[in-house]
Amino acid sequence: MSTIEIVPEQERGEFRRRFLRNQNAVIGGALVAVAVLTALFATSLAPHSYTETNMLLVWGEPDAAHPLGLDSLGRDILSRILIGARVSLGVAAAVLTLTLALGTAIGMAAAYFGGWIDTVAMRVADIILAFPELIFAILLAAVLGPGILTVVLALAITWWPGVARLARSLVLGLRHEAFVEAAVASGTRPAAILLRHFLPNIVAPLIVRASIGVGFIITAEATLSFLGLGVQEPTPSWGGMIRDGLTVMRTDPYLAISASAVLGITILGFNLLGDGLRDLLDPRARDR
Amino acid sequence: MPGDPIGAMLSDRSGDAALEQRLRAAYGLDAPVLEQFATYVRGVVRGEFGLSYRFVGVPVVDVLRDSLRISPLLALSALLIAVPLGVTAGALAALRHNRWADTSIMAVMIAGISVPNFASAAFLVYLLAVRLNALPVAGWGTARQAVLPVIVLALQPTAYIARLARAFMLEVLAQDYIRTARAKGMRERIVILRHALPNILVPLLTTIGVIFGTLLTATFVVETIFNIPGLGRQAIQAIFARDYPVTTAVLLLFTFFYAGINLVVDLLYGVIDPRIRLERRR
Repeated sequence: MSTIEIVPEQERGEFRRRFLRNQNAVIGGALVAVAVLTALFATSLAPHSYTETNMLLVWGEPDAAHPLGLDSLGRDILSRILIGARVSLGVAAAVLTLTLALGTAIGMAAAYFGGWIDTVAMRVADIILAFPELIFAILLAAVLGPGILTVVLALAITWWPGVARLARSLVLGLRHEAFVEAAVASGTRPAAILLRHFLPNIVAPLIVRASIGVGFIITAEATLSFLGLGVQEPTPSWGGMIRDGLTVMRTDPYLAISASAVLGITILGFNLLGDGLRDLLDPRARDR
Repeated sequence: MPGDPIGAMLSDRSGDAALEQRLRAAYGLDAPVLEQFATYVRGVVRGEFGLSYRFVGVPVVDVLRDSLRISPLLALSALLIAVPLGVTAGALAALRHNRWADTSIMAVMIAGISVPNFASAAFLVYLLAVRLNALPVAGWGTARQAVLPVIVLALQPTAYIARLARAFMLEVLAQDYIRTARAKGMRERIVILRHALPNILVPLLTTIGVIFGTLLTATFVVETIFNIPGLGRQAIQAIFARDYPVTTAVLLLFTFFYAGINLVVDLLYGVIDPRIRLERRR
């Protein structure tokens, strides 16, 4: 009895030790923690309202009250960057949730039922993967019209195939396990088998796999917003702020520079953490 | 899709039924949807993409003619910088495996992958164009104006290639034939250049298609930043002007480029790697 309980405990300790020894993972984890906390407490941290305009202080230089200066409408840049963290991570979380739900459901159904369901699902996934990265998202944004909901939908539609393929292969690997065959033999309905027997066994690798992509999702949202196809004013988004700032680079570089720095560091944090997690989980890839 | 393009074209002459009739016929919008689609597909096969909505009566091909050369040129220039630079950096890192040169090269490379191109563009424009006044902020036409866009485009692919090159190099350096080459007293320079390097090029080649795809997407951003009249900027402008024929044409062209590059890459395997040729003959 005791040995059975000790093994996972040791494994968890081993994982924690290896995580802490992995410099990338630790630095990335710290950056991600700061970003997530900023996003959660953005409204309390922001010194000013992110929509409050002041036409007398348009493109104001940084001072004590406005550490990063003011933008084209006299809005506090620091406050908008802080709220921007909430927008950026919020969109990423929504896309991640949707991608996981969609990808897992489709991948599991394809693997379990096989036949034409499998064929159709995997061919649709192939078609989406055949487009260059983001082109599909830009196309959808053009059709649906710009906006935060469009961004979430477009990115989820672009990203589910990866998750679906993984879910499919995981289910295929488990299909002939004894506990599945026992469930089938005892007449359990397919839906129940998928939800109660497969899902708990494949959910952890799926979440990890999807989390590794968060850096890319944040980049994609910022890119769409930069192009004007994503988050719309007055909601602040780092991509949109960089676009506005780039046009006045000669006279007022604070907006573009500070938004770029924050965006770059946030994505770096997620990528470092993702790399670290991948190294820890796949020993063969440790050198990559 | 929102909006009636013919209604927008007529604007203040919206009562003119005869004109409306003629425009609808010219754009083929009076035909059933399926027939419109068939006509469009037939046109695409012949290299025609219909008429632009924004520039009334102008074929999409004419709207895009000048841009057609710019975007692939930008992407290829960036690739020509990124491949040698990335391979060199990655190979150097692998040869100094786990020493400070390796660690610092890889730290720079993961930052290079992470920072989106418009963010690095902001830093570079500030440093090179505003502070040092060494390069123009934007525009297109002179060689000096092309420097910043190409650098910005090349950054992420360079970092990506360097990471891959390092991983492939580490794998190759652990192979028996490298140990044999060293054991028989071959000079280290020859071992690296003649035995190791060619063997990382094949796996790298497989990724060139993916890299070219990301470069195409990046031209949307870079052309917007630097005000370059390429396909990417045309597509973005067309999206906002609801000029669907132009938008569709650019996205189709990009997908063709992407598929084309991947096909070329697949065909090149056999040319570059004799092992794959032999495999096929068996």
